[in-house]
Amino acid sequence: MTWLRNVLVDLADDSPQVDLAERTIATHDRRRRTTLSLLAAGMVVVIASGLTAAVRLLPDRPQEAAAQGDDLPARGVEPLSHAYKTFCKPDKGKAPKGCRDGGWRVVTRSGKAYDVTEALPSLSSGRGGVRDSPLAISRDGRKIAYYSAKEGTFQVRDLASGQTTTAADKVPEGRLGSISRLMLSDDGRFVAFSKVPDFKDPALLIDMRDRVVRRLPNRWVPIGLSQDGATITLAEYSPHSQLRTISNLWPPSSAGKSTSVILPKDYRFSPLAPDGKTVAVIENLSAAEKPCRHGDLALMDTLTGKRRKATALSGLAPDVSTISLRTWIDAEEVTALTMSVRCRPASQVPDDEPPVIDPPYQSMTAYAVNVRTGRARKIATYRARNFFEIVLPGPPGAP
Amino acid sequence: MDRNDSFREFVAGHQQTLMRTAYLLTGDAHQAEDLLQSVLLKVLGRWSRLSRVERPEAYARKALLNQYISWRGRRVRSELPTAEPPDRPYSSEDSTIVRLVMRRALMRLPPRQRAVIVLRYYEDRTERETAELLSCSIGTVKSQAHYALARLRELAPELAPKLADMEIEEAYR
Repeated sequence: MTWLRNVLVDLADDSPQVDLAERTIATHDRRRRTTLSLLAAGMVVVIASGLTAAVRLLPDRPQEAAAQGDDLPARGVEPLSHAYKTFCKPDKGKAPKGCRDGGWRVVTRSGKAYDVTEALPSLSSGRGGVRDSPLAISRDGRKIAYYSAKEGTFQVRDLASGQTTTAADKVPEGRLGSISRLMLSDDGRFVAFSKVPDFKDPALLIDMRDRVVRRLPNRWVPIGLSQDGATITLAEYSPHSQLRTISNLWPPSSAGKSTSVILPKDYRFSPLAPDGKTVAVIENLSAAEKPCRHGDLALMDTLTGKRRKATALSGLAPDVSTISLRTWIDAEEVTALTMSVRCRPASQVPDDEPPVIDPPYQSMTAYAVNVRTGRARKIATYRARNFFEIVLPGPPGAP
Repeated sequence: MDRNDSFREFVAGHQQTLMRTAYLLTGDAHQAEDLLQSVLLKVLGRWSRLSRVERPEAYARKALLNQYISWRGRRVRSELPTAEPPDRPYSSEDSTIVRLVMRRALMRLPPRQRAVIVLRYYEDRTERETAELLSCSIGTVKSQAHYALARLRELAPELAPKLADMEIEEAYR
C-alpha cells in the first residue's frame, strides 16, 4: 500500500499551485450579469466637445474604424488611446476581426488598430489554462510595456521611434499568474508588475534604464509611481480594501519605508491623482442579493485613508451597473469606465447553470467625471470582454 | 465577514488538496484547473447553504468526482501526456521514471477505475467511503480496484511485481 501511495503522492506533487478564489468569484459574478442591451455595432463614438489636451488620450474616432488589426509596425506609430485583448471564441456574439486568441490589440487615437505580436498571448481559463499576459500604456500613449514571448521578460517600446528596451532579468511565463497588472512610468523608465495568486515569487519594480529590479509585495495593484521612481502607491481590493505607499525604493536592497492603511469599506480605486497623494474612490455596495451597486465618488488620502466629502455621481447612463476608475484627464477629472449589464441576485442563478468559458464582448462607456462635483460627461465607448481586458493610458485602477 | 470572504477562506484551506486529487484524476495541469474551477463555481453557487454545513469540502470532493466522471467521456481525446516514459527497461526504484510510467498508465484507465485507485490508494479511503463518494456499492469498489490493478500491471509490466503485492495487501485490508 505504501509503495503505491508514495508513487501517487509523488505524482500529485506535480500538480499546479493555484489560487482559484478570485477567478471563481469573478466568473460567478459574470454569470450573474447578463447583458441588458448590446449597443448597436458601430456605436463607438466620441463626444468631441470640450476636449482638453489630456482628453486626446482617448479615441477620436469609432473603435470599429480600427477594423482588423495589422501587426504593430516597427516604428512610426502615433499615440494610443487604449488596448484590449482579442479572444476568438466568445460564447455569444462576434469576436474582433482578425483576432489572435489572447493577443493584445492596441488602438491609436485616430482609430488605427495594431496587434502586438511580440507580446505573449494570454490563455483562456476554460480552454488551455490560466495565464494572464499584461500590457500597459504610458500616460502620454507613446510607449507600451508588455511581456515579450521571445525574450521571456518585460519590454518597453517607444511607438514612434521603435526603440525597444528589454528588462535585464528573465521572468518565467509561469509567474504571470491568473490576473496580472503592469504599470509603466510616464517616462518609460520603470515597469511595475504584480499578479495573483501571490505565491512566493514577488511582484517587481524594474528599472529598465539602470537594469536593476526591486522586489515588491505581490497581490497589490500598482496604481502610481513618483517621477523619480522612489515612491510607489499600491492598492488591494480583495479580500479587503487597502492602500500602501512604499518610499525609498532604491537601491533595491534597501528596506524602504512602507505605510499601509486598511479601509473599513470596500472601495474601487482610481490610479494615483496628479497631486501624487490622493486617489478617487467609489464604494462598492454590491451584495449577494443586491449586486452591482455603487456608492458616491470621493477623494481619499493615500497615506491616511481619510476620505473627503463624497459626491453623488450624475450624468451617467441610468443603467450603468459597474464602474472602473482609470486615467486622470487632469487634476479635476478622472475617467470612469462603465458597463451597463443586468445583474442577477445570487438566488436567481440556477446551481446547474453551466459556466461561461469565453464571455461575449460588450460595450463599455467612458465618462470624464469631475471629482469635485461628481458630474460625468461621456467621452468614448469601447468593446472588450471585461474590465481586466481593456487598458487605458496611465496606471491601472483597482479593480 | 461577507459571503465572498468566507468562500475565500474555504478555498484557501482546501484548494490545494482538491487540486492534487484533480491532477491525479485528469493527469493534466490545465484540465485539473478547469475541473476544480468548475467545481468551485458550483460550490460558490450554493455557498449560502454550504457555508452553514459542517464540512463543505465533502460536497466539493464529491462534486469533483462526479464532474470528473461526467467530463472524462467528453474530454478523453484531449488527454496527452507531456512527457513520455523511456522506451527501455527501467528500475522500479527510479522514482522519476516510475512517476512517468504510472501517470501514463493511470491515464489509460477508465474514469471510475482511476477514481477508485486515487480514492483508495492516494486518499486512503475505506471501501465504504469510496463507495459513498462514487455513489456505488462496496462490491463495485472491490471489483473496480481489482480490475484497475490488473490493468495497471498490463500497462506497466516493470511495475507488475509491486502492483501484485498491492493486490495481496488489498486482500487483507
